[in-house]
Amino acid sequence: MQAATALRGRKADSGQAAGTGRRLGHLLVIPTAAWTLAFFVIPLVLITVFSFGTENLVTFNVNFGWTVSNYASFGSDLYLTTLLRSLALSLGTTTACALLGFPLAFFISRQRPRTQRVLLACVIVPFWTSFLVRTYSWVNLLQTDGPADRLAFGITGHHLQILYSPASIAIGMTYSYLPLMVLPIYVALERISPDLYAAAADLGARPWRQFRRVVFPLALPGLIAGIIIVGVPAMGEYVIPEILGGGKTLMIGNIIVGQYLDVGDYPFGSALAVSLMVILMAMLFALRRVQPVVEAR
Amino acid sequence: MRLRAHPVAGVLALAAVGFLWIPILAVAVNSVNQNSLMISWGGATAHWYARALHDPNVRTGLTTTIEIALGSTAVSLVIAVSGALWWRGASARARAVYDATVYARIILPEVVFATALFFLFLKTHFPLGIAAIIIGHSVWNSAYAAVIIQARLVSLDPAMEEAAADLGATPWRAFRRVTFAALLPGIIAGGLLTFTFSFDDVVTSYFLGGSAASPLPLVLFGMIRFRITPEINAIGVMVMLFTVTLMGVAVAAFALMGSAGRGRRGALAEFYGQ
Amino acid sequence: MNGQSSVRLIGVEKRFGDLTAVRSIDLDIAAGEFFSVIGPSGCGKTTTLRMIAGFERPTQGTIEIGGREVSGLPPYRRPVNTVFQSYALFPHLDVFENVAFGLREARVPRAELRRRVAGAISLAQLEGREQAKPNQLSGGQQQRVALARALVNRPEVLLLDEPLGSLDLKLRKEMQAQLKDMQREVGITFVYVTHDQEEAFSMSDRVAVMNHGQLEQVGRPEEVYRQPRTPFVASFVGLANRLTGRIAGPAPGERYEVDLGHLGRRLAHGPPGLAAGAPVLAVVRPEDLHLTPAADLQPGQAAATVVDVAFLGAHRTVRLDAGALGQLVAIGQGQSTVAPDDKVAVSWADDDAWVVPAAGEQ
Repeated sequence: MQAATALRGRKADSGQAAGTGRRLGHLLVIPTAAWTLAFFVIPLVLITVFSFGTENLVTFNVNFGWTVSNYASFGSDLYLTTLLRSLALSLGTTTACALLGFPLAFFISRQRPRTQRVLLACVIVPFWTSFLVRTYSWVNLLQTDGPADRLAFGITGHHLQILYSPASIAIGMTYSYLPLMVLPIYVALERISPDLYAAAADLGARPWRQFRRVVFPLALPGLIAGIIIVGVPAMGEYVIPEILGGGKTLMIGNIIVGQYLDVGDYPFGSALAVSLMVILMAMLFALRRVQPVVEAR
Repeated sequence: MRLRAHPVAGVLALAAVGFLWIPILAVAVNSVNQNSLMISWGGATAHWYARALHDPNVRTGLTTTIEIALGSTAVSLVIAVSGALWWRGASARARAVYDATVYARIILPEVVFATALFFLFLKTHFPLGIAAIIIGHSVWNSAYAAVIIQARLVSLDPAMEEAAADLGATPWRAFRRVTFAALLPGIIAGGLLTFTFSFDDVVTSYFLGGSAASPLPLVLFGMIRFRITPEINAIGVMVMLFTVTLMGVAVAAFALMGSAGRGRRGALAEFYGQ
Repeated sequence: MNGQSSVRLIGVEKRFGDLTAVRSIDLDIAAGEFFSVIGPSGCGKTTTLRMIAGFERPTQGTIEIGGREVSGLPPYRRPVNTVFQSYALFPHLDVFENVAFGLREARVPRAELRRRVAGAISLAQLEGREQAKPNQLSGGQQQRVALARALVNRPEVLLLDEPLGSLDLKLRKEMQAQLKDMQREVGITFVYVTHDQEEAFSMSDRVAVMNHGQLEQVGRPEEVYRQPRTPFVASFVGLANRLTGRIAGPAPGERYEVDLGHLGRRLAHGPPGLAAGAPVLAVVRPEDLHLTPAADLQPGQAAATVVDVAFLGAHRTVRLDAGALGQLVAIGQGQSTVAPDDKVAVSWADDDAWVVPAAGEQ
């Protein structure tokens, strides 16, 4: 009886509460908005503006000259090569991750639920371990007289001179980014109802045709998500080329850091960072347009 | 009938899994290798672990890292939870802007953030150090947390709050007893994820730490660049065990507290916001 | 129907680990027949259908389609097509491509493919929607696409797994009529699985009733309704009033004299071969019960109190409490003179009673 009267009372004033609630609700965006504005948007705007300035490397005074001289330097060999190398490495890493990751995701999705959990753990757990340490481990694995080298020597009689070359960076990046490729593909595959496999078989499709005509098209959005999550950040990698490139092979991330923290040419470093951002935005835009929107029900 | 995976896929799959684990095993094995060059096996020893635990750089690095990780997690969670709750009642256009900024913060390379923030702090004379690093981590950490928490929120039945109201709960109590409670596994999972990301971060810490703060990853980074010894491996193994344990707790929290009946696919799909 | 066998199951059994889903069933479905398999959830009807389709392999027994053994063949080699309960339309393909799927797999030449797809789409009344994607269609439209997609391949047998389950009542009744007409027109054998007995009866030439993996009875709808073989069938295919009794002995006209306890002895029809003393249930359908005022109670009639009267539009359902005889149900048309708490006498004609062996009662 008490509850009933209490209920009536509450329901009566819920209308008013809803209005206040809505107004208060809008306040909830303040932390996100403030933080994003102050520490994300404004800094990026700042470096964009500064990328058009010049700096006197002796006095460290920055002039606002609105010059494009910083961007013009891109024409020079060093930076162009590095940019192309970064693009190539990102492309290579993404391809390798896709070629390894898709079969892996597919294999996992075809297992019994308990096996799936174990395999997914095997893929994800390395991701939780120190990224730095895992990358560094490759130095040991790829160095001369290291395990990989000895294996190659035993098989071909030649030494594997791979450490500090672009190839070793590619290996390190593929290794680090592989779980990021596997997971979205797996999720997309899992959403495909088993009825669709049965229907395709019922209509005369053998297993390979089932895969080609039904499974792959429906997994494609996941593959593209994976390509984005791998390809875009890979362009701006710093740690992996630093450790596995040994100062001999550089990616654009290394150059940016170098300009900022070693040389101190902030406008030039900013120009590099801004260019990287623009390139990535373009990549992102292009990839998102390709991503088909499909409901895998 | 289940489409059996082609044997080729199986072989590639197992090769991929092996590929993922070999470096980890190599690190673990070498952490007890007496041979300091780690070229070959020199016998087992716990020596490197002892050195690591007594190394003063390592100890300060560890405390610094923990401070930073805790701070960054707290800030990120506040941002992510408030944002997710706001998102529920927001207009489509506002949501689109919000989603785009979350996506951008996840996808863009750290190098870009770090240089921009470094520059901001330089020009505003904000001191580099622990606070700066916490701010820097929070920019992208809050995005990861937002994805997880938002996915969790979206999957909750909106009728739950209505049911609570029907049973006599005021909006605040309905939120606290029903929504927040159901959200908690997502918050815990998101918090632990951001903690491990902070714990492991190099680039942002490198830029924003200045001379004052040297978190553990930077200590490690310095050691890796200048002298390679199994001590690094020992530190690495200990860090790995720590973060794996943390994430294990996160997964358990998710499984036990909330995702009943949804299993691993549900959790992953939520992480990917699908 | 030319009497030739279209689908044969011989001693088919299916086990999943410890669970036996289907126990050794034998079925003979004639060509061109509309054949339904009905039963409660978990009775094995869907498993049986999936075995005919090829999605499950029988643990024992053989399956023949059109006289050829297909037990070992995968689904893409069998001359059958399935309409799934969930429709299973390919979300990334439009209506035209969904319907054309099987034809493309069979490498049908382009001109013929277009013709046949157009024909199937028109049969399903979906002209103008060829370019639409499944998620743009209503439930009923999706169902018709699934049907078209299966029929366009001209299978020997069409298998339907509760295809109307997710449609609302009115749409379901419309589709039932359409399916029956379509089957007549196309002449293909339809094997239809449903838990809705009324639905199956309205469309089928013959019906099979399954329970706990076993085939309880197979026959024409009227046969199954009027002459159920087991208590389960009696209750599943409609409301049944079941009176416990024993066979007293045979009676002329292929009937039995049944001892119904305090109701005395009554005549009833039944299957041949029931021995004297055998425990039986006398089944009287609700529409065959007559209600008269209690004051006129005759010998052989049961005394009962009206519990509830429900007006269903086309008829009235009267629930009665008949004391020792338990709950009874009577259905009457037109004016009803009874109201709750009325005392009535319940009677029925001898011809309307049918006995079912009580052994094997669930």
